[in-house]
Order: sequence, then C-alpha cells, then structure tokens
Amino acid sequence: MASSAPQSIHHERPPLYRDVTVVKWVVQVVALLLTIGALWFLAKQAGDNLRASNVPTDYDFLSVNPGIDLSSGIDTDPDTGGRALWVGMVNTLRMAIAGIFVATIIGVLVGLARLSNNWLLRKLGTVFVETLRNVPLLVQILFYGAIFASLDRVSMDVGPINGWLHISNKGLSMPRVHIADGFYQWMIVIGIGLFAANFLRKRRIAQQDLSGEETYPILSAFGLIVVIGILGWFVHPIFGFVGNIFNSLSSVVSAIPEGVLQIVLALLSVALSGYWIRGFLNSRRTPAGLAKLTDDDYFRMIFAGTGGVVGAVFFLFLWPGLSSWMINSGTDLFEVLSNKFGNGRSGRPIDVALPDVVQVGKFPNYGPSGLNFSIGFAAVFFGVVFYTAAFIAEIVRGGILAVPKGQTEAASALGLRRSTALRRVVIPQAARVMLPPLGNQYLNLTKNTSLAIAVGYSDIVQVGQTVYNQTGKTLPVVSIWMFFYLSCSLSISVIVNFFNVRMRIVER
Amino acid sequence: MQDANQLSGDLEFQRGIGQQGSSPHEVPSLPVGQWLRKNLFSNWGNSLLTLLGSFLALLALRGVLNFVFSENREWDAVRTNLRALMTLSYPESQYIRVWVSLGFVAGLAGLSAGLWANWGGVSVKRLSTWLMGSGGLLAVCVIVREPSVILGSDGKVVRTVDGSPQRESFLDAMVDRSSWWIAAAVLLALGTLLWGRFTSPDRRGVEVSVTSVVFVSLGLALLSLWVAPYGHYAFISETKSYVAESGRTVAFSTKLPWTVMLALLCGFFYLGRILRRSDYAGIIKGASNLLWLISPLTLFWVVLRDPALDYGHVMSTDLPMGLAFGFLGGAVLWSLTRPGVGEAGRLVATMLLGFAIFNWVAAFFGWYPMLQKARISFLLLAIAALLAPNFIGEIAKRRQLVLSWLGVTALVHYLATMINTPSTVELQSSEFLGGLGLTLFVALIVVLLSFPLGVLLALGRTSKFPIFRMLSTSYIEVIRGVPLISVLIFFSVMVPLFLPDGMELAELAAVLTGYTLFSAAYLAENVRGGLQSITKGQYEAADAIGLTAAQRTGFIVLPQALTVSIPQLVGQVISTFKETSLLAIIGLFDFLRVANSVIPAQSEFLGVKREGILLVAMIYFFFNFTISKYSQRLERRVGLGER
Repeated sequence: MASSAPQSIHHERPPLYRDVTVVKWVVQVVALLLTIGALWFLAKQAGDNLRASNVPTDYDFLSVNPGIDLSSGIDTDPDTGGRALWVGMVNTLRMAIAGIFVATIIGVLVGLARLSNNWLLRKLGTVFVETLRNVPLLVQILFYGAIFASLDRVSMDVGPINGWLHISNKGLSMPRVHIADGFYQWMIVIGIGLFAANFLRKRRIAQQDLSGEETYPILSAFGLIVVIGILGWFVHPIFGFVGNIFNSLSSVVSAIPEGVLQIVLALLSVALSGYWIRGFLNSRRTPAGLAKLTDDDYFRMIFAGTGGVVGAVFFLFLWPGLSSWMINSGTDLFEVLSNKFGNGRSGRPIDVALPDVVQVGKFPNYGPSGLNFSIGFAAVFFGVVFYTAAFIAEIVRGGILAVPKGQTEAASALGLRRSTALRRVVIPQAARVMLPPLGNQYLNLTKNTSLAIAVGYSDIVQVGQTVYNQTGKTLPVVSIWMFFYLSCSLSISVIVNFFNVRMRIVER
Repeated sequence: MQDANQLSGDLEFQRGIGQQGSSPHEVPSLPVGQWLRKNLFSNWGNSLLTLLGSFLALLALRGVLNFVFSENREWDAVRTNLRALMTLSYPESQYIRVWVSLGFVAGLAGLSAGLWANWGGVSVKRLSTWLMGSGGLLAVCVIVREPSVILGSDGKVVRTVDGSPQRESFLDAMVDRSSWWIAAAVLLALGTLLWGRFTSPDRRGVEVSVTSVVFVSLGLALLSLWVAPYGHYAFISETKSYVAESGRTVAFSTKLPWTVMLALLCGFFYLGRILRRSDYAGIIKGASNLLWLISPLTLFWVVLRDPALDYGHVMSTDLPMGLAFGFLGGAVLWSLTRPGVGEAGRLVATMLLGFAIFNWVAAFFGWYPMLQKARISFLLLAIAALLAPNFIGEIAKRRQLVLSWLGVTALVHYLATMINTPSTVELQSSEFLGGLGLTLFVALIVVLLSFPLGVLLALGRTSKFPIFRMLSTSYIEVIRGVPLISVLIFFSVMVPLFLPDGMELAELAAVLTGYTLFSAAYLAENVRGGLQSITKGQYEAADAIGLTAAQRTGFIVLPQALTVSIPQLVGQVISTFKETSLLAIIGLFDFLRVANSVIPAQSEFLGVKREGILLVAMIYFFFNFTISKYSQRLERRVGLGER
C-alpha cells in the first residue's frame, strides 16, 4: 500500500502539444518571430519601393543645403538640413519649456480658485476649465492664429505701450533682457552669495530650533543674496583673473594624448556598468541574504553588463574620432570660458534692449533688438498654455481634495496658521497625488506643440515636413521625429520619477 | 488622448462638494443677503477677490460679446456654408439620404435612452435657479455689450473724422435691444414664479424629469426655427450660389427635417419606455446595442453612398459565396460543438486559424487571388471555431452559436458587397463626405475599432508571458511617446511605401488605421488601470471553480476591469473625438478644414476665418460637454468612487 501510493500520484507527462510550459513558450516565440518577420517584410518593402522611385533612404540631406527659410528660430536661414532640424528642435523645446512654466502657474491658480470659498471665483474657474478642455487644441490654436493675423499692421506707433510693448499682425515684441559684458563674472559673485545664503539659512534654522524664536531663515537668506548681488554689480571686475585659470586649463586639455583618453573612456564604461550592477545587487540584499532575483532583474543586469562591454569596445575601436573630438571641444570650451571671464570686462552684467521696427525691403517688421514672438509662436503658446492649464487645474484640485480633511483640522489644532498648514501639511501630501498626472500633462504639452504645423511656427514637425517635401526623404525625417519625441518623453518621465521617488512616503 | 484623467478629476470633485451640490432641496435656502455675505463677502479679502473677479468676468464677457456682435463679423459666411460645414460637397438632390441617416440615429438614440437610462429628475428649485441665472446673465450681456454702430442710408457704417465707426448712445442702444430685455425679463419672471411656488416646505422636493426638460428646450429651439426671422438662404442651382434673404424664417427644407428628427427622438423615447416593461425587453436591448455597432458602417457605406448593385454579379457570386460560408461554416461549427469532440476540435480550429492567417500573408505577396470577403470570413470562422469549446453541450447552446455565425456572416457579406460596389451618388469633388459627417464617422470608427485592440494590448501588457508583455509594452510606450500628428503624417504619407505592388489603400483608410493604432495604445493604458484594480482573489476564485483562462478573462476579469475604468474610457472617447480635428492638417476635409481653408477661399468671403472656427469650437464643446456630463451621471449610477 505504502509503496504503491507514490505511483498513484505519479504524473504522466502530457504530450508535447498539451504541455503548458512548452505551448506557452512556443506561442510566444512564434508571436515574436511573426512580429519581427512582419516588421522586416514591411521595411524591405519600403526599401524596395523607395529604391524603385529613386529616393534612397539615407541621411545625406542632413549635410546638404535644403534651401528653405524658417519663420522663426535661432537661425532662420539654415545652411544644412541638419541645422534646419536642429533649429526646429530648439524651437519645440523653447515652446515646451516656456509653456510648462506658464501653464503650471495658471493651472495652479485656477485650481485653487475652483476650491475657493468665493462663489464667483469658483464659477469662473469652472467656466475656464470646462470651456478650454472641451474644445480641441487645434481649434483653439487656429482661432488665436486667426485673431492675431487680423490685428493692426506693424508700426512703431501701434502698441499698447509705444516703444516697450507692441502687438501687431507680425506678432508681439517686448524689451529683451540680455546678458552683457560683465555677466559671467557677476555670476561668480552670485554663486558665492548663494553659498553664503545657504550657510546663513542653516545657521538661522539651527538657532530657531535652539531658542524657539522666529529667525526668518528664508527671508534673511534671500536678503543676503540681494545685498551681495547689488554689491557684485559694482565689484565684479575683480574676478577677471578667472579667465587666466581657464586659459591654462585649456592648454592642459590640449596636451592630453588621444590614446590615453580612449583607454580611460573604455575603462570608465566597464567600471560604470560594474558599479551599477554592484549597486543593484546591494539594493536587493536583505539582512537574510540576497533576495530572490526575478527574470527582470537578471535581464537588467545582463543588459547593463553587455552595455558596458559594448561601450568599451565602441570607445576603443569603433569610434576613435570621439577622443580627438572631446579633446578639441574641451580645449575650445575652456578657451571660450577664458574669453567670457577675460580681463577688461567691466561693463554692466545685464542690459535691456527696447523693441524697434525696421523696414527690410517692402514690408516693415520687428527688428532684432527686441524680444519678438511671431504670430505662430503666440498662437501655439497661448493654445498649449491655456489648454494644459485647464487640465493642470483639475489635477491640482483633485490633489488637494485627496488630502483628508483631518489633516487640515489637525494642523489647525496644533495652532499652525492657514498658510503654514497649506505649505507644510496639505501641499506636500497633495503633491504626491498630483505629480504623476502632472508629469503626464507636461509630456502632453510637449507633444502638443507639434500642432504648430497648422499655423506655420517652425517646430520640429513643421521643419521636418518642409525638409522631406524638398528632399523626398520621408522615412529618415520621421525617424528623427520619433527619436526626438521619445527622448523628450523619456527625459520628462525621468525628471518626474526623480521627484516622485523623493516625495514618496518613507515606509519602514 | 491625453486627458483621460479629466474625468477622474471630476469624480473627486463630486466627492468633494457632494455635501453641498448633490441634494439641494435638503439644504434650507438662505435669504439672498445672507447667501451673498457667506459666498462672496465673508471678509475683506474675499470681497476684494469678488470685486476683482467680477471686473475680470465683465471684461471678458464684454470682449466676447463685442467680438461676436461686431460689425466686422461676417456671420453670413457661416450661415451660407452650413451645409458645407456639415457634409461638404454631398449633392443637394440626394440630401434626403443625410436626413434618413440622421433620423435613424435620432430614433435609435431615443429608443436607447428610453430602454436603458434611469434619467432621474431635476428639482424645480434648481430649474428656477437656472432660469433666473440665465435671465440675469442675459440682462448683464445686454448692458455690457458696446453700443452698435450706426448704419447710414446706404447701409454702410457711418464713420467719424478719424475713421473709427460712430456708435449710438448708450440709451439708444438699450432701447434698441428691447426684445432682449423682454426675453431676460420673461426668464427672470418664470424663474421667480417657479421659485415662489415650489420653495414652500411641503413642496420642496418636487422634481421634473430630466428628459422632459431636455425635450421641452429642444422643442422651444425648434419652434424658434419656425417663427423667428433668422434669415433664409436659398441655393440657386443655375448660378451655384447661395442667396441670402434676411428677415424670413429658415427654409422649409431645413426646419421640417429637424422637426421630424425631434419627433422621432421623443416618439422612440416613449416607445422605449413602454418596451422596457415588456417581456422582450432583453432582446430589444440587445438588438438596439447591435444596431449601434453596425449603424455607422451601414449608414456611411450603404445609405449615404447608395451603391449601384449589379444584380447579375450578386446572384452569380456574392450570394452563393455568402450562403456557402454561412451554411458550410455553420455545419463545421455544429460538428465542432458535438459533445465529446475532444482534441479534434482544437486541432481543426488551430488549422483553420493557420489557414486564415496564411491567406492574408498570401494576399500580401500576391501568391493567389482570393476575394477579401473570403479572407475575412475565414478569419472569422477560425475565431468562432476557437470559441466553439465554450458552446459544447446542449442543443440550445449549439444552436445559439450557429445562429450567431449565420447572422455575422450575413452582415459581413452584405457590408462587404456594398462597400465594394461603386456609389451612384454623383460627387462634386473627390471627397465623398466631408465636414462634420466625416469627423463623426472617423471618431465613431476609431472608437469602435480601437476598443478591442486596446483591450488586447492591455491584456498583453499585464499577461504572465514575458514576450507578449514586452511586445505590448514597447508598442504602447513608443506610440504614447510620439505626437498623434506625426503618426497621422506617417500613415498618410508612408503607407503606400509599405504596401506591395498592386495593393492600394485609400488615404482615409490609411489615416483610420493609423489613428486606430494610436488610440488603442492610450485605451490600453486606461484598461490596464482597471485590470490592476482586480484583486488576486478574483483570479483564484475563477481558477477554483475550474474556468479556463479565456473564460476567466472574459467572464470575471474584464467585466469588472471595464466597469472600473468607465471614467477613463469616456475621457478617451472625448479626446479621440477632439483629436479628429487633426485630420484637417493632413489634408482630409473635416469641418475644421472647411471652416479654416474652404470658406476663407470663397470669393465672397475671402479670409473670413474666425466665424467658422468659432462655430466649430462651439459644436465640439457641445458634444464633449454633453458626453462628460453624461459620464458623470453614469459614474454616480454605477456607484464608482463609493467603494
């Protein structure tokens, strides 16, 4: 009986086509092969078709003059296709960063208004949000564009504040605050000021903790920076010697032999991946020993290790130009720096230039001295800012409502003032809820700037379209778009994740 | 796409102010003075905010009114082009087809509303507040709008010496707007009357059903078409131009159909109400759902296109093929559901699937010709065969499977035949249908098609199979990382490159494919949120009662996950609808494109853009606002956010 018991629970291995593990893996591998096959087939097809129509898929256009003019940007007459796309990227990033900044401010204000005790403010906030988020962004952008295009003709006499602020059918122009002669030396002074202010703030806080009396740490630190900044406005020329230091650094860098740098880079690559794996293993170590590693963990480690070795090979053999490029650009960089800090720079750190109108050929337009925003920029900017602000307002309101009422009550029971309670109790908790969707909205804003194509603002998509219309290289341009936007998405999610991790509740 | 969380925000809002907002008749109403003090002037800071806010609000209101009623606005451009905005170049003589389609949708909407929704009521007190509020707002509007310009005897604006138009005095303006004053007064009086009658303690809770409020307001709007002199636009076919005759009511060909629409809506609503109590309510509900699924395709491809059927071809090819698939496929399915069919069933199903996929591969390489219909039918048959094991057993269950197979085959073959037949409608341009019709069609198709794909992707992303997970995850993340416009451009420009010789795809189809693939990635993320909220116990319980993985997913996991993600899914629908506006950029004539490029190019309305865009914005707003309000109602009814 006892000997036959194991036999009765002995499992007959199922046939191969019924074995769960086998079926599972076969199905997956077949799916993977099918996907790869389909992609390969499509790529081949596209290649054939392109070759048949005499438009080879290559990236040569990046170094050829595309013969296009851009409506706005750091370089409106780029001499290569790559330069044109670069201008487009800078325009997109410019719009995205400015937009994120302004949309956050407006969004937070509207979100707070929707929670206000004041009935009118609440209603106004609701109207703002409901109107803006229920109308497509493109419609809004086109509407703003149409309105700007119908403004008065540009001239020096038309503008809300003549000589300072001009709004016309050529867009918006306002005074430009720009870096002047002594800026970099002044920045050294400001840096010292920041350092001193931080020191003062910490001391004040310690003092306050000790004595229990209000010492205004933030306020006094801020005051110190202002005082040092004003002082530095006049004394900054004494930092002229920094230029000489950069000059000598530049000659040191230019003396490094290329081979040494190559080896150092390769070693660094291997060391970095090794360090990462070590850190990763350490993070999985518990007092009871190494925790069980999942497939994912192994995959990550293998990926990191392979990456390190591949990087090393890459630096050593495949890209020898890199080290000479690094040495050259390092030398250049230090030379530029030594110029910026050079002796004899004693002017004002910051200057203001007023807008003006110049007549180039037949049509008057804003001159380069003011800070100009074209109609396209203004339309897209207002569009994405208001549209995103409506969503941010909802996120802010949801986040604050998600903080339990007991928290505010407890804060007021402790005797905290309303503003302190908001700053120290409510907002830190609300931020935890708000951050992930907020990051999502920032991402959306960045992607939405691509609608600039509708009003002719030269963002990456618009420039790309112009380029492929000229050269016929659709596929490469599309791949550059994808690469650009994916890296934007990735950077934003990395930044948001960083804050997310920092704000997470520390659990024991 | 991106604003899926807009509705979850609303959810919190409901939770947050639920105490004061949801049941107004339980809160004793404050006297006006106290209400003002509590809500607007509780302390000096608050009063300051109120003053600032009202100043800003009046300024904005004045700006909007001055913009809309400015003498520079050419609303004629929009009025004359209303048909272009709605259907672009759809021929005048065939317009009855548009009305029939709309009437069908109106009737179906009414029926579903009557069958399904528990619409609830709105308290009379709230109604009276609305009436008084809109009356007051109207009065404020009348006051803040700047006085209109004076028209000279030649009909032109009288200008002062420096060229700016001369405006009438404030008092004259107020007198001129007397009809608006009367309207405001009527609204206010009506509101006050209701307030006075229904705020006594014993009648406080009196409610009016939401539907009657909606129907009455729609009815009033329609009535105004019959009596108000909006201006009549007639199309003169000889000169191919519209002629405006202001001061007359709207043309008969416009107001009659709309009246019929409303009648259909109301009639079918009450029919639905009656049918709801009948014994066949379940079947009727199922039928109405099915109609919703197939009506966009049928209306677009069959009713609006009026295909010219070649009956010889139908009798010789289409009908026999449909019958063959129906009955042979039915026989196969019948035998596959025999009790004790065992392994053979699975084997046959797998072979069928392999053959169906092989057909598509062969089509791509052009190995052998086969009608597209047949390929689709084989694929559907394979799917049905894979599902067959769930129907093994009693005769009734097997019959159910075979009958649904027959129905699906009939429908697919009917639609496919109709789509392949050329249209008899004489088109004035290359675009078959443009304007709002195209926008709605694209939005509907994309929502319908991206739903199954999105659910599949979400299941893939949460599956235990690492390769499936990796594939779906990378697909979703890549698509979500790039803007829609680049995907649409990619598909409209690049798809011809990817296709082998001899295979073509219309631009609309290419764009629909791209948009569906894009939308599915976002939908998948919303569904994934729902999937993650399903507790482990549900899976274990399903396993414990012996369900297969497919049954567990289909009967236990997905229904719960989808219910939880309703708010996000509706948000997704709204953003899909909003982003159909991007079609205008890639060269399809949706109604934004009509407003932005077609109207401004007409010789009589050169450069008139803002009016059309404003109308487009209002139409979008109307649709989206209605959907989001409805979904909030739905959420409350499903009880989301209360768990």
